[in-house]
Amino acid sequence: MMPLNVGLVGNEFRVGYRLQSEWSWSMATAFFCGEVGAGLFFISYLAGLKSGLLVGLLMVAVGKASGHLIHLGRPSNAWRAVRNVRKSWVSRGLAAIAVFTATASLVLADAYLPGIAPRPLIAVAGAVAMLAALVIMVYQGLAMSHSPSLALWSNGLMPVTSFTYAMLGGVFIALVLGWNELPADRLEVMQVFAAGLVLLGLVVVVSLLHAAKYGPEAGQRSADLLLGSDLKGWFFPLVIVVGFIVTGLLLLFGTGQQLYITVAAVTELAGYYAFRILMFKAATYDPILTFGRHTRRR
Amino acid sequence: MATWGMAFDLRRCIGCNACAVACKQENTLPYGVFFTKTLTETVGTYPNVSKVYIPTICNHCEDPPCERVCPTGATYVRPDGIVMVEAKDCIGCGTCVVACPYDTRTVLHKHHVQDGLFGGGYKTPFEQQGMDRFVEGTTVKCTFCHERVDGGLQPACVATCPTEARVFGDLDDPDSVLNRLIRERKGRQPLPEKNTNPRVFYIE
Repeated sequence: MMPLNVGLVGNEFRVGYRLQSEWSWSMATAFFCGEVGAGLFFISYLAGLKSGLLVGLLMVAVGKASGHLIHLGRPSNAWRAVRNVRKSWVSRGLAAIAVFTATASLVLADAYLPGIAPRPLIAVAGAVAMLAALVIMVYQGLAMSHSPSLALWSNGLMPVTSFTYAMLGGVFIALVLGWNELPADRLEVMQVFAAGLVLLGLVVVVSLLHAAKYGPEAGQRSADLLLGSDLKGWFFPLVIVVGFIVTGLLLLFGTGQQLYITVAAVTELAGYYAFRILMFKAATYDPILTFGRHTRRR
Repeated sequence: MATWGMAFDLRRCIGCNACAVACKQENTLPYGVFFTKTLTETVGTYPNVSKVYIPTICNHCEDPPCERVCPTGATYVRPDGIVMVEAKDCIGCGTCVVACPYDTRTVLHKHHVQDGLFGGGYKTPFEQQGMDRFVEGTTVKCTFCHERVDGGLQPACVATCPTEARVFGDLDDPDSVLNRLIRERKGRQPLPEKNTNPRVFYIE
């Protein structure tokens, strides 16, 4: 039940719902680059797209790393973050990034300089890189849902949204990069796959919000921010309309046309980046204790 | 070995925040950083309105999510239950801050450590003697004044409270004042649905 007289508070000494403020744009950028980069590498490996492998690796190794290093209070000690793989998803993710960077580099080197290493080694490196990419695609969602503190994040669908957006970003960038490189039948399959992922992504995001709206009070507060008040002007137009509806329409009417696909890639990526930032901005802590008068559950 | 816990008697708390001041003084906390606060809530509708004062502190949970998510192991639990942060291992990722349901942790940014209370980098003699312990970019939190507790004293906030609204003691001792208070007055944990099993109780 939502307490009537308990609202959003900042640092003042009042009982209320508090917004998450520790993770912001630098972490959102790191999450974005990591997931999309890993997704791009994954799709490019399956499709045989060399440029996709390169861009994917750079997004993870440089984009994600930069975002995290900017955020850290002590970036010089960042290497310590791999010490708690037994319990921490952040540690596990960093271990996966390290393994991915090493193995993906080997795969990439072989792609551009064939024969640089024995074929069995490249095959093993490829399999390991794909597995590591899979971990990178989901671990951030698992890290967010690992703690019960933020109802909006503490949801089994969070890793699913991470994976779905990673694949979406990956397939769209692969389509753009590979338009003149890949055979037509492979491009067609990728476009159908992209269309399926757009539908899936929309369902997953709507389900996530539904779970928040009808879950704990802080989750209801977060859903209200995104759909009904302060962040509504950003969430619905960017995440839903631009990220899914416009992207879907461009795919539907622009199949086989490079310009439409490129614009669709831009709209999808813009929608995903907006989703990441808004998930951070809307996350809300429950009041520790309240004696306020309660309403009926909405 | 004792397992330390605390209880807040909400009938006794008058919201003076002497506990917050004592904590700041004991730990030489920078401007804007609090290990404990007493929050206010206005309840009822006019003309039947009253205020409730709710002290907050790190709950030193039995199953702390901050310890679980910490990638470096900087957050750890002592054998006596006190949850600590080892500054030399902390990288300031803020994952523990995000993971804590009770919003009781703070990452020390540059302005916290360097500015001083009056700004401009000037630090009073009091700040100079106490703030060297803080490492910029690391997470800090309440430690139940572990140095005082190890020396047989009560935490500063407990010792200072003028109404004895804060009670500190051994949760493993069934005859301790703390345990008797929790038992007799039906103390409840904050946000029990988060499954962190806090060692801080609220007595209404």
